[in-house]
Amino acid sequence: MREFFYGMFSLEFVSHAVEMRTSMENLFMLSTVGDMIGLPIIPPYYSLRLLPYLVPQISLWKRRMLREREFTDEHDYHLEGL
Amino acid sequence: MNLRRIFEEHPERRYIMFGGKGGLGKTTFSAATAYWLASQGKKVLVFSVDPQASLSDIFQRDIFGKGPVQIMENLWAQEIDADQHIKAYQEEIRRKILDMYGFDSIPDEIEQYIQAASAEPAMEESAIFDAVVDIVVEGKYDYYIYDLVPLGHALYYLSMAKVYDEWINKITKLREEMREYEEMVARLKRQKETEEDRILSELQYIRGRINASSRILTDKEKTAFFFVIVPEEMILIDTRKAAELFARFDVPISGYVVNRVVPRELLNQNIPPYLRNRIQMQEKYLRQIDEMFGNQVVARVPELERDVTGLEMISRLAGIMYGK
Repeated sequence: MREFFYGMFSLEFVSHAVEMRTSMENLFMLSTVGDMIGLPIIPPYYSLRLLPYLVPQISLWKRRMLREREFTDEHDYHLEGL
Repeated sequence: MNLRRIFEEHPERRYIMFGGKGGLGKTTFSAATAYWLASQGKKVLVFSVDPQASLSDIFQRDIFGKGPVQIMENLWAQEIDADQHIKAYQEEIRRKILDMYGFDSIPDEIEQYIQAASAEPAMEESAIFDAVVDIVVEGKYDYYIYDLVPLGHALYYLSMAKVYDEWINKITKLREEMREYEEMVARLKRQKETEEDRILSELQYIRGRINASSRILTDKEKTAFFFVIVPEEMILIDTRKAAELFARFDVPISGYVVNRVVPRELLNQNIPPYLRNRIQMQEKYLRQIDEMFGNQVVARVPELERDVTGLEMISRLAGIMYGK
């Protein structure tokens, strides 16, 4: 029953929130350890301090950022009317 | 104004810095000032943040990377070995990763990052910057005398603090927002509280460090920054520019110390035209210095007949700068 209501009312919010969180995560990783994928943002002394906490996310994030993609991947563009 | 009065009237100015172009006598004045304060019964640490430090040379002791080394009663000197500091820091990061995740070894891509990051040119400056915070925050000494790096580096230092600070602010905000979303998800999914965000507390720690170090450099109450100049045209032009930049970063300038003044009395002796010309040239620039900086000129230090190394010469110079 609880699952049902969750599915009915919250699922969309949750997935939206998770999505937002992920895109912020991307931004966060980019601005802290961006030099890993060739984007030096700040002197790395303090980003090293953060590194231990980022270890689990790093390979996933790199894959996410560096994979080839179509520009339409990011959003669901509605191109019907064109 | 003279140097001694500044110290007597402002005992709260505990962070003393001598800045200026390379080779004008920053280390010499730092050592002499440290010597004088120590002989006044103050506990003094003179330390160098310059990778090519010369405190070892002036005190004729090898102190590089050895922590604070006692030179005489009340006087300690320290040269920060940035490389050593960076290595220890890298090791600390590796240790932390191994402990946190129970790895046997650091994953390749992480290790590569650690190494690449440490090869960045900015790494050394940041490492020194950070080490300075450790030294000063401890607060064990009455006076801290920075033997500063040449002007350009010092400015880089200061601007870096501002950049860092802004960067941290943005990241912290972003992190806080991420956390809000996380909490929202947890609430909607009726999960228990999210665990404390350690990254956020780490960021706050970093911000504290950066603020601490830039605060020291720009603290109007506790910091005295002296420019070292010599009576030469190029030096004056550069110093004026640098002074403007420093002012923009809110560094409180306490005065200008003129070094290498050839004693005017020599004119009464039978001296070669070469020396006579130098003295006359210097007079011209000394007048300019007085016009430019007025009563901010706190001392004129003569060119001595030999270089200042060893405690005996340091003591003599301290006598000239501060009186017996």
